[in-house]
Amino acid sequence: MQAALHDRKIQLALLLLPGVGYLVLFFGGPLVSALIGSLRLDDGSFTLQWYERIFTRATMLRGLQTSIYYGVAPVFVSLLVSIPLALLIRQNFWGRKLFNGLYKLPMAVPGIIVALMVIIMAERGGFIDRVIAPFGVSMPKLVRDEWGIGVILATVWKQIPFMTLIITSAFAGIPEDIRHAARSLGASRLNTFAFVEVPLAMPGITAAILLTFIGSMGSYAIPDIVGSPSPRPLSVLMLFEFGEGRFAQVYAMGMVLSLFAVVVLLAYYALTANIGVNRAKGDE
Amino acid sequence: MSELEISNITKDYGATRALHPVSINVERGEFVTILGPSGCGKSTLLRILMGIARPSAGEIRLAGTRIDPLPPETRDIAMVFQSYALFPHMSVGKNLSFGLRMKNVPSPERARRIEHALEICNLTGLVERMPRQLSGGQQQRVALARAIVMQPRLLLFDEPLSNLDAKLRDTLRQELVYLHRRIGTTSIYVTHDQAEAMAMSDRIVVMDGGRVVETGTPLDLYRAPTRAFTAGFLGQTNLLTADADGTRARLPWGQLVALSAQAKGIARVSVRPETIAIRQDDTGAGTVTSVSFMGANALYTVGIAGTTLKVSQAGGESLIAAGSRVSLDFNGALHLLKDRELPEAA
Amino acid sequence: MAVVAETLPKARARVFHEDDRLLVSAGLYAALGLTIALPLVLMFLWSVADGWAPPNVIPRDYTLSRWLDMIADPGLLRAALNSTVIAVVVTFATALIALPTAWAMARFPFRLKRLVEIFILAPVIIPGLVVAVGIGQVFLFLGLSYSITGVILVQIVGTLPLMIRLMTATLETIPDDLIHAARSLGAGTVGVVLHIILPLAVPGLLAGGLLSFIGSFEEFDKSFIVGAPVVETLPIKLYTFLDPYSLQLPIASIIAFILLLPALIVFVIAGRILRDDLMAAGMGKL
Repeated sequence: MQAALHDRKIQLALLLLPGVGYLVLFFGGPLVSALIGSLRLDDGSFTLQWYERIFTRATMLRGLQTSIYYGVAPVFVSLLVSIPLALLIRQNFWGRKLFNGLYKLPMAVPGIIVALMVIIMAERGGFIDRVIAPFGVSMPKLVRDEWGIGVILATVWKQIPFMTLIITSAFAGIPEDIRHAARSLGASRLNTFAFVEVPLAMPGITAAILLTFIGSMGSYAIPDIVGSPSPRPLSVLMLFEFGEGRFAQVYAMGMVLSLFAVVVLLAYYALTANIGVNRAKGDE
Repeated sequence: MSELEISNITKDYGATRALHPVSINVERGEFVTILGPSGCGKSTLLRILMGIARPSAGEIRLAGTRIDPLPPETRDIAMVFQSYALFPHMSVGKNLSFGLRMKNVPSPERARRIEHALEICNLTGLVERMPRQLSGGQQQRVALARAIVMQPRLLLFDEPLSNLDAKLRDTLRQELVYLHRRIGTTSIYVTHDQAEAMAMSDRIVVMDGGRVVETGTPLDLYRAPTRAFTAGFLGQTNLLTADADGTRARLPWGQLVALSAQAKGIARVSVRPETIAIRQDDTGAGTVTSVSFMGANALYTVGIAGTTLKVSQAGGESLIAAGSRVSLDFNGALHLLKDRELPEAA
Repeated sequence: MAVVAETLPKARARVFHEDDRLLVSAGLYAALGLTIALPLVLMFLWSVADGWAPPNVIPRDYTLSRWLDMIADPGLLRAALNSTVIAVVVTFATALIALPTAWAMARFPFRLKRLVEIFILAPVIIPGLVVAVGIGQVFLFLGLSYSITGVILVQIVGTLPLMIRLMTATLETIPDDLIHAARSLGAGTVGVVLHIILPLAVPGLLAGGLLSFIGSFEEFDKSFIVGAPVVETLPIKLYTFLDPYSLQLPIASIIAFILLLPALIVFVIAGRILRDDLMAAGMGKL
């Protein structure tokens, strides 16, 4: 028995090794080396100056704000579209099946192409501008603009299908009986939605929010191509510093970005810890 | 006027008719079971009563008020679900208070009613628990408490015991009967389990193929079913065709037996296995084809004149071996059915 | 998207009336056309337009010469080849690495499982840019900087988590009894893997494989840092044409289409294979 147990432990270790080992080597290792690099001066002595600069220099501070803005703003816009869309596509309408396949298309479109589409559509002198020009209206600046509308448009376009997909599944995972029980206990449609369905779909919704937030906060291509040249988000500034060869600074910025992502993840765990639906196993 | 009046309710899904006109009356405080095999329309009827499905025609009145056009939340009907349907993100206490909050019951009364419901459902001390921390039996009790805390005019049960193991099911069945006697709420209980129906109900409504087959007290339906379906679904029976001549009928193998009612010509009859006595007899017309010893009784199948009869013998010192020749005595009368045809297999 | 907002109040109705349904469909498809089809069409027009000056809503003259030039361009050809080879290798390597680990995550109970789960998820949480700049040092040490191998290795960091999660979700659904039954019928470990586990894992493998392929083919941030300017993939190539100061919409559109085509084809196939529930099981819960 002891030998068998032992055997099973070795089995487990061997099975875990490829995946976990790979990530330790090519993910954990680089991250730790970046962390160490961010805390060192050229002569190898300990310093916090690279972090200090992020939180004291005006460009860096604005970069940090911009990163958070580019993370948060698209999520809000996406949610506004995704939740109604998720509720709508679980209804029965003509061509539903086809729509269900088509709306996911943007998931397969690279961010750079989305940026290109935004330029073609919304740039001054772009398509929309040309269409409305005869009416004497001209486009406000939407690409490389101060408010990052171009970035938000591109990010939202790419986020909506993923978000809708996860939210649809989250709502679909709620058993019919639970809805009916709420109704028979005197809850109207609206109350059932607010007090029963939304809380139960919350793990899925927050997971979608979290993943889209992190994805857009750390992305480089879209803000670089359609984002305002000033302020630039941390990710774009990072690449700039990278090009200048200031690696310690790059690592420090990377650590700050990662820290944000981790904090958001922890907040997610804290928020969803009390919801007792184990969606992964599909039991209710 | 009955407390609940279901009049000529039908339900069509496209071209298929799930419910043929169904009419049922339930008196105040009565415990009525709707019994039938799966697909008989009982669940559809329940969904219509609850308000999550609309009837295609007909009307429903509860305490004189027409309720079929009303949305579920305004019907004063509470339901206990087969899957319990407890809100997984709410504690037991929150599950119970949900409906009261929705109906704007003031806080002190809410507390009092929850207290009372917990007590009669044996749930005291579990208020803070989350549903996932409860056993199946406890979850079932919470579902029940959540329904009765509403003090509804009508309680609906959708096979609430079918997800429990046999022992627990028996216990909860008794608790339910006791509870109903205590609170006296008019109840409709849907099940496919005939033993459950007979043990719990004041009255049973037997359904099949979207129609009400027959209605009656458990005792009447068991002893004097008028339909072959009822006779076969409630307990075991033998369905036979006999040649009736007034008060007696001749069975296919020539035996003359008393009839429960007057009839002439071809008669469809039901005879319960326990009303037939079996006797070893080398010149008898029947042959034992199998024997199952059940403890309190023995169940024989007897081949006789091309038909197979089930015979139950209580007690007895010894068993009759398969292959033995036997003769049969009919202690009771053959029960005359109103069916024009008998189902293929009884 | 305004159309969607307009139809919202009816969303709670369980069954639409006949004309409502048509309205909803019309609204949804119109939104789809404006937001997805129109940009794609315009991008295509740009790629074949021979000059498209501002007042014109549609180009006046068309030419195929740019397409022909681009297709003949050896640089672009090499980038396309690079992208394809990298995506194929990444997909297979990801599946190979993920399978055993997913099996362990799905079937073995062990302490610290939650911790391992979070570690596997971490690459999704940490921005790819950070991983890429960090990996630079390791690659410099290993001599992998600016190599295709380096790009492949860094991309797998991004594709592995999703694959492991999808496979775990798939493998969890295989009942123990099935494996016991196969064993009792005389199948050895190899037999069980070959005849029971792999066939049942196919939906997860296909879904994970397609996502890995698309993920790799379109990956930019990490590949750019590790590979550019020596290793050029299609997204890197496209990026160089999108410089705001020398923006060339026709050429950029052509590359965008070449880059988009395989992804779209894969996606059309994927539509049949990628089941929503599987995706949600993989990513709907962290």
